[in-house]
Amino acid sequence: MDFLYPILFWLLAALIGVSAVAMVVTQNIVRAATWLLFTLAGVAGIFFLLSADFVGATQLLVYVGGTLVLVVFGVMLTAQGPFINLKIAAGEWAIAAVVGIGFFSLLAFTLINAKFDFPVPEQSQVATTAPLAAGAADGDPLIGDKGTGHRSLAASVVLGEALLGFEKTAPEAAVTGPRDVMAVPAPLPGMPPPSSRQARLVPVLKRQKMAYLLPFEIVSVHLLVVLIGAAYLARSKRRRGGA
Amino acid sequence: MLDFLQSNPGYLFVLATLLPLASFLLVLVGFVLWCVFRPYRETEYGAVLYHLFGGDAPGRTPAYMALAAIFLAFLCSATGFGLYTSGFYHHEKELQAQEHAVGLKHDAVLHAVGEDKKHDTEKELVEAEDAVTEIKAAWKNKWTARFDWIKVHPSGQSDPERGTIIQLGFRIDNLNALMFVMVTFIATLIHLFSMGYMAEELAPTVADHQVHTEDGHLHRRGRFGRFFLYLSLFCFSMLNLILTDNPFQIFISWELVGICSYLLVGFYYERQSASNAANKAFIVNRVGDAGFIIGLIIIWTYVGSFNFEDVFRQIRSPQGDAQGILTTGAKFVRVSADGEVASGKQSLHIDPNGDRVVLFPREIVPEHYHGVSPERGGHVEVADSPKKDEHGSMPYWVLVVAGLGVFLGCVGKSAQFPLHVWLPDAMEGPTPVSALIHAATMVAAGVYLVGRCFPLFTPEVLLVIAYTGAITLFVAATVAVVMTDIKKVLAYSTVSQLGYMMLALGVGGWSAGLFHLMTHAFFKALLFLGSGSVIYGCHHEQDMLKMGGLWRKMPITAFTMLAGVLAISGIPTFSGWYSKDAVLADAIGYVSVHREHTLLFLLPLVTAGITTFYMFRMWFLTFAGKPRDLHVYEHAHETPWTMTVPLIALGILSWVVAWGARFWDASQSWLEHEIHHAQPLAVAANFAQEQNNARNLHDMVGLLALGVVAVGLVFAALVYYWRALNAGETKEQFATVHRFLSNKWYFDELYSVLLVRPTLVVAHWCKNVDLYGIDSVLHAVAHATKWVSWLEGRFDNGVIDGLANLLGNTTYKVGVSLRNMQTGYLRSYVLFLVLAVVGFVVALSYVVMAAAGQ
Amino acid sequence: MDAVGLTPFLLLGALLFVCGTLCMATKRNAIGILMGVELVLNGATVNFVAFAYFNPVFEIEGQIFALFVIVLAAAEAAVALAIVLNFYNNHSTVDVDTAEELKG
Repeated sequence: MDFLYPILFWLLAALIGVSAVAMVVTQNIVRAATWLLFTLAGVAGIFFLLSADFVGATQLLVYVGGTLVLVVFGVMLTAQGPFINLKIAAGEWAIAAVVGIGFFSLLAFTLINAKFDFPVPEQSQVATTAPLAAGAADGDPLIGDKGTGHRSLAASVVLGEALLGFEKTAPEAAVTGPRDVMAVPAPLPGMPPPSSRQARLVPVLKRQKMAYLLPFEIVSVHLLVVLIGAAYLARSKRRRGGA
Repeated sequence: MLDFLQSNPGYLFVLATLLPLASFLLVLVGFVLWCVFRPYRETEYGAVLYHLFGGDAPGRTPAYMALAAIFLAFLCSATGFGLYTSGFYHHEKELQAQEHAVGLKHDAVLHAVGEDKKHDTEKELVEAEDAVTEIKAAWKNKWTARFDWIKVHPSGQSDPERGTIIQLGFRIDNLNALMFVMVTFIATLIHLFSMGYMAEELAPTVADHQVHTEDGHLHRRGRFGRFFLYLSLFCFSMLNLILTDNPFQIFISWELVGICSYLLVGFYYERQSASNAANKAFIVNRVGDAGFIIGLIIIWTYVGSFNFEDVFRQIRSPQGDAQGILTTGAKFVRVSADGEVASGKQSLHIDPNGDRVVLFPREIVPEHYHGVSPERGGHVEVADSPKKDEHGSMPYWVLVVAGLGVFLGCVGKSAQFPLHVWLPDAMEGPTPVSALIHAATMVAAGVYLVGRCFPLFTPEVLLVIAYTGAITLFVAATVAVVMTDIKKVLAYSTVSQLGYMMLALGVGGWSAGLFHLMTHAFFKALLFLGSGSVIYGCHHEQDMLKMGGLWRKMPITAFTMLAGVLAISGIPTFSGWYSKDAVLADAIGYVSVHREHTLLFLLPLVTAGITTFYMFRMWFLTFAGKPRDLHVYEHAHETPWTMTVPLIALGILSWVVAWGARFWDASQSWLEHEIHHAQPLAVAANFAQEQNNARNLHDMVGLLALGVVAVGLVFAALVYYWRALNAGETKEQFATVHRFLSNKWYFDELYSVLLVRPTLVVAHWCKNVDLYGIDSVLHAVAHATKWVSWLEGRFDNGVIDGLANLLGNTTYKVGVSLRNMQTGYLRSYVLFLVLAVVGFVVALSYVVMAAAGQ
Repeated sequence: MDAVGLTPFLLLGALLFVCGTLCMATKRNAIGILMGVELVLNGATVNFVAFAYFNPVFEIEGQIFALFVIVLAAAEAAVALAIVLNFYNNHSTVDVDTAEELKG
């Protein structure tokens, strides 16, 4: 099944890229909304690929199902004849294209040349994961793909526990993944010895508790406030004379 | 407030003084605001504010405020005067009783037998004496107050308490309490009168027919409010002048009334004659004020204080010095030098012709003073710079100079010979001003000051005062005979009457002179207001030769003025009769002792007749007979009530104001009696015999004066009423005399030749020196400076300004071009944001790489 | 076939980000700009999740942040739409060029 992973990725990437570019390019706001739908759906797929099922599901539910519907409502409420196609000058297009390409080039250049050093999980853990990325062979310490579908369900559980701030026990370490690894991992064969930066990361790994409940609640309240605020802002008002 | 005034009633007079000042300040602030808002009167709110403070046409508000202020001041002064007089008799009685008790205790001490008894009676004596001191102090606290104003720190002063503090203060006695009532009463009436007389000034534009411009008459805005502004300031200054207890404060008020006089004489300043008259009044007064300042400086230098009481206590001997060889107190003690006894101290012996005068210690109890006494052989030790309990001395001639200097100030202010020339010209001002300032109050201030400073004057100075008054009264009266302008007649009459007052003061008739001041204020204000009424009713005709028969047209004015004429002539039971008889009695009292000065009696006696003649001449010419100018007569009319009411009030008062218990007795005037209470001891000390003779000769002089007055009256009636004598022919017969008098004894011409022309010549010289000597140097310097400045300017403009402009222009251009980037479009801002991020990251990476490359 | 590394994900995120900014920069329609913002946020979310996957230390935090971002995006969309509707009510258009009060 490993060969399916890149194929899926590149398919989704192509879908996202095409949809995103199309969204930018199209002048019709309704079409743009449609392209946005595809983009967001594609991104949800990417999340699934990255074994973040819960995030992907949320993306689909909240974004595609909620936010986008909101946007579409907005379009429907305001999309009257002249406003569907609001065009801008060709010169602005040219400038925007140049700037966009330049910005993307800069980002791409930076990303491709960037070197990421991530702490590596335990030997046993690593054994279950996917083989190291080819990049590691030429001395690049970039750690590649770590696993496939069988971890994804567990990841959602971990996510929920993390929100609640549960402490993990040792037997579950195998299931819960690298989050609870305590020992300093031994360097893998073919990898450079851990740098001082990795050594500094060790104490971080020892953290036992990490509760996200409070931020979560804050976000909920925030949403509530936003909903009330939005309802207040968007409520129909009596127009003042001459407005 | 009321409690305070009850316990310190002297402050009633302070309140009366400050009320006109408050009115002045309020009106002034209103005027300033009006001026501020005037440029904005076209705008919406500006117009509201502009009209709030009067608008285009002058409002009546200033007049109401000034009238209210002066009327309240009158009420205050009247209350204060009532409290003072009622309290005064009580105080006198109490004091006499207590002093009598002291005398009894004194006798008891002398006759006491036994040690214990003696001790007890002595103790009682001391207690009684303390009670006297207490009564005096309580009275003084009630009616006087002094405040430190300026502290000066002269170097090398051995006594730091001497001559270091200038004080403000007031001191109420019978004289200035009466003056307050008189001034505020007359001023109230004149304010009322002015509201009618100055009504023409209420118009937005007033045509001045006496000023000719290229296109007819001058048109200007009405000055109703300004008139009352000046009047209020004048009232404040005048009241302050009579309120105060020191000549320094008097000097300040002196100058303030002077400037008010200047402003009001020049009220119609577009008229050349008015502005000339104002300048003349001011400049002539400067001559007098120079003398006043000299007097003040001498007093300050030798006495070290300005307070009247302090000064007089030091230059005149204490009252209680009855055991010494000075039988009466309040005299100058002249001394001659014996020689130096110690450093800074001299022994002097008393010598009636000595060249120095003793300055008595500042702090002594007069009743117990034994400083200069026969036990010491008539010797006195004086210090060069005396401490508070030491004697000092000053040269006699300096004291004479001080007296002459102060008197010179009074000569200027009271228009005495030879500085009398300004007053007739000052009639250019509005008539109410002439009545208030140039008849009733300000010109009387000179007489008042002479009365106040009386103890300062040596016999020589008093003689000068007497002769000055005698000459003035005669000269002015003769000129008044030939004047045809109704106001000029009154002006010369005023000068003449002021001469009477000065004469009285000079011959020791202190209360007579100031009594005449009071009565004169009433009847002269009446006469001037009457003349104002006539002028107003005749549409600003002032020439008496064009009037005649006006009593049918304006009966109230005519008969009230007749009361004034009778009063000034000295007809019995009219106020002038009492005062003039008193003056003449004092004159003859003086002459009876000093036979060589007989002129001092003859001149005023003759002038009494002349006065009657010219005053009746004025009245007959104006009101009696047939109209000489039908145009004037037909348009004449009685004046409104605002003007007749003051006339009636003053008319009645001119008659009755001096009445006493027996009003047919010239020596029993209530007013003179009141003034007499304030008479300084120095009068009795210097003029005991003269006063005694005056009392004895009073009735005789009264009859004599009545005869002279009758002659003058008959003569006037013969010429101007019955027409038995032709005035024109008489004039022809005495053409030389008439010309001499018409030209006012050629005083103006004399001054022009003696003073004005030489001054102008010197001024021309100075001008030429300035123009050709100093100015040429200045011009050369100026040209050089200009050339350097030109060079400098070129450098500034070219180089420095160029750089600054370049910088500014560049910044501006960059700004303008940058401005185009501010499209206000959201999307362009997003683009700029992205561009900035890209640029920043690229730049940063270059820097980092460069750093890594090293 | 090679396994997909971190970089392609990040590049995808970058692409979304750039497209989002361009969307903001080129749309005159207020809702178009809102969509651009959504795109930008999505790009960021992709990055979070990618890092969560590839960095074991960051696994939980990455996903939770992604969730927060999604929620915040929803909130932002609600508020922004309210603003857009208000704008529409006041200007009778959704053309943001009419709101040029910041013009210099």
